[in-house]
Amino acid sequence: MKTLNFQPVITAEKENVLRQEVRDFLKEHGKIKDADVIDSWSVCDPEFSRTLAQKGWLGMTWPAEYGGGNRSYLERYVMIEELLAAGAPVGAHWVADRQSGPLLLRFGTEEQRTHFLPKIIAGECFFAIGMSEPNSGSDLASIKTRAEKVDGGWLINGSKIWTSWAHVCHQMITLCRTAPETKDRHAGLSQLIVDLKQTGITIRPIENLAGDKHFNEIFFDDVFVPDNRLIGSVGEGWGQVMAELAFERSGPERFLSSYQLLEAAIKQLRSNGVTHQAKMVIGEYTARLMVLRQMSLSVAKQLQEGKLPVNEASVVKDLGTSFEQDLPDAIRLIINSEPRPSESEGIERLLSDAILKSPAFSLRGGTREILRGIIARGLGLR
Amino acid sequence: MSDLVQMVEESATRLLGSFVETQATELMEAGVFPQSIWDDFVADGWLKTMLPEEKEGTGLGLEGGYLLMRLAGYYATPLPITESLIAFYLAAEAGIDLPNSLFVPVFLTQDTTQNSTLIIKNVPWARHAEGLIVIRPTQTGLAVSLVDTGLYSCQPGHNMAGEPRDEVSLETSHLQQSSPLTGADMEKLDSWMALARASQMAGALKSVLERTVEYANERSQFGRQIGKFQAVQQQLAVQAELTSASICAVDAAIQHLSTEQEWELIACAKITTGESAGYAAKTSHAVHAAIGFTQEYPLQLSTRRLWSWRDEFGNEAQWSARLGQQCIDLTTDDLWSWLTTQTS
Repeated sequence: MKTLNFQPVITAEKENVLRQEVRDFLKEHGKIKDADVIDSWSVCDPEFSRTLAQKGWLGMTWPAEYGGGNRSYLERYVMIEELLAAGAPVGAHWVADRQSGPLLLRFGTEEQRTHFLPKIIAGECFFAIGMSEPNSGSDLASIKTRAEKVDGGWLINGSKIWTSWAHVCHQMITLCRTAPETKDRHAGLSQLIVDLKQTGITIRPIENLAGDKHFNEIFFDDVFVPDNRLIGSVGEGWGQVMAELAFERSGPERFLSSYQLLEAAIKQLRSNGVTHQAKMVIGEYTARLMVLRQMSLSVAKQLQEGKLPVNEASVVKDLGTSFEQDLPDAIRLIINSEPRPSESEGIERLLSDAILKSPAFSLRGGTREILRGIIARGLGLR
Repeated sequence: MSDLVQMVEESATRLLGSFVETQATELMEAGVFPQSIWDDFVADGWLKTMLPEEKEGTGLGLEGGYLLMRLAGYYATPLPITESLIAFYLAAEAGIDLPNSLFVPVFLTQDTTQNSTLIIKNVPWARHAEGLIVIRPTQTGLAVSLVDTGLYSCQPGHNMAGEPRDEVSLETSHLQQSSPLTGADMEKLDSWMALARASQMAGALKSVLERTVEYANERSQFGRQIGKFQAVQQQLAVQAELTSASICAVDAAIQHLSTEQEWELIACAKITTGESAGYAAKTSHAVHAAIGFTQEYPLQLSTRRLWSWRDEFGNEAQWSARLGQQCIDLTTDDLWSWLTTQTS
């Protein structure tokens, strides 16, 4: 049984200075529309992303030689939690900054790094995630999209699905089968960087139940990818993807997606009067949030130390997404408002957005059941 | 963790671990004080863990005390470790020297102005103590009185784990002699006690998780270990999540002692451990099934403690309401700017 490590972290002066900088920036930027604040990391605003790039807040932890900020994971943590808590629209660059860049730094070639990292840092290159397929969701190893070796590169055929902002993004890291399936299901997979403007690619938007069109289905019809766009080693895609997920699962976006609703509820209670039940709910959710922050910060520190806390990241994601899903259900019982998607602002709109968007919170990046399976393995049960 | 703290943790682990195989729990539950393991505990000098070095203590302060309490929770040690450590600490802070015996703290919510008989419920281990350390608020701050055994009477009672929780009758005239305790108020002391129970719960939660995972890996049904069933794995994963959240919450509260955020993080720790206690007890008993329901199997030593401790010094609903009130009353414009001072 592996012990789960969440040694608490106290942030230092440089993080506090940065926190103030981000707050000043947000103040200057002006109020963010209520319609955009719930799940704001799924709201795509390329111009906003480029503004952040000018502040030096994309690729913040990456080495200076690629134009990165060379700053710590804790500093990045503070920067993103401030943006997320405010409901800032960070969706355009989110994947590139959170996982694609770090993946290239870990497994990419020097040419890939010098080609892509400066563009990501400038807010000019957004990445999409090419993992799920119509018949492969949680069972990622069963993907069927094939990349066949041809002269000078690879030819991709197949399809990917649930790809957020594929119609806006420039590149997609695509997990493909490069060798036939064998007994070892995790063997024979490789990651390729695909230019989404390439011929042979069709992108079809899929509207979600909240009426948003951020995810897509992508079809590959003999799409050519040159040799120099293969990440890491041929056949090692599975291990690379797993490493990528440690970065993906533990950040503050895993519990702040509906946070603005808590702020709005407190404001409403202040003016309308507060019941004992309301106090209990606010206190309980505040406590859960504070502890989640401590845990997520602790994982950020461990990433900084070069560790790969996969189990801890899964714990943060499962507890965190439960929190952001439970929150609207608890808040609706203590305020005197019905959820109202037709309102352009106010708590009725926030409540409606939080309820309608919440099913995805525990699906994206590994479902609840998958995460609990990983944790159970860490406990020595599998 | 400093070397000293690590050394203390290692030797406390050895000592408290060695008490597990004794008959001490049976004695305690039969109303007999487990004198022999208490003597071992006292002989090793543990009573002064939290005292500063100039008072012949180990100098580990509250932080070191909570570490010991967590271990006592882990081993379900049937001794008044929390109570005696806190009594020694508060007495020393008030300048009262105590002999190496059992003293337990008693917290009064209001001052006693007239001569009368006080009836104080739920005083841990009072009947076995050499004296009470009674702390009460007065107009000029906190007052600490040492009341020797013989000057009060006890009506024995106990919590669900069989730990003594007595009703004490005491003449207020015995409180006339007192020493001031500065740098704290009743709310702070109340929160320190809540963190004590939260620390004990963090230890008990860890023990319950380890025991349950081990059992799930040993017990076979339908031709395989029950831990191989997904239904069991998913429940134990959640128990592990809540357990690690509890440990993190307690660690964070300890780390923020003497900072502006001390009270809030203690509230979080008591709420988190209290909520986790119910889930962990329920799940671990479900996984163990009938054997875990017996007196003989040691799981109940931890689960009965969890069920007791979550309600002592404020349950999760009470602490949530208090924390919620705090959030409503904030003078900052938003909750976030207040929240984020926790780690700054």
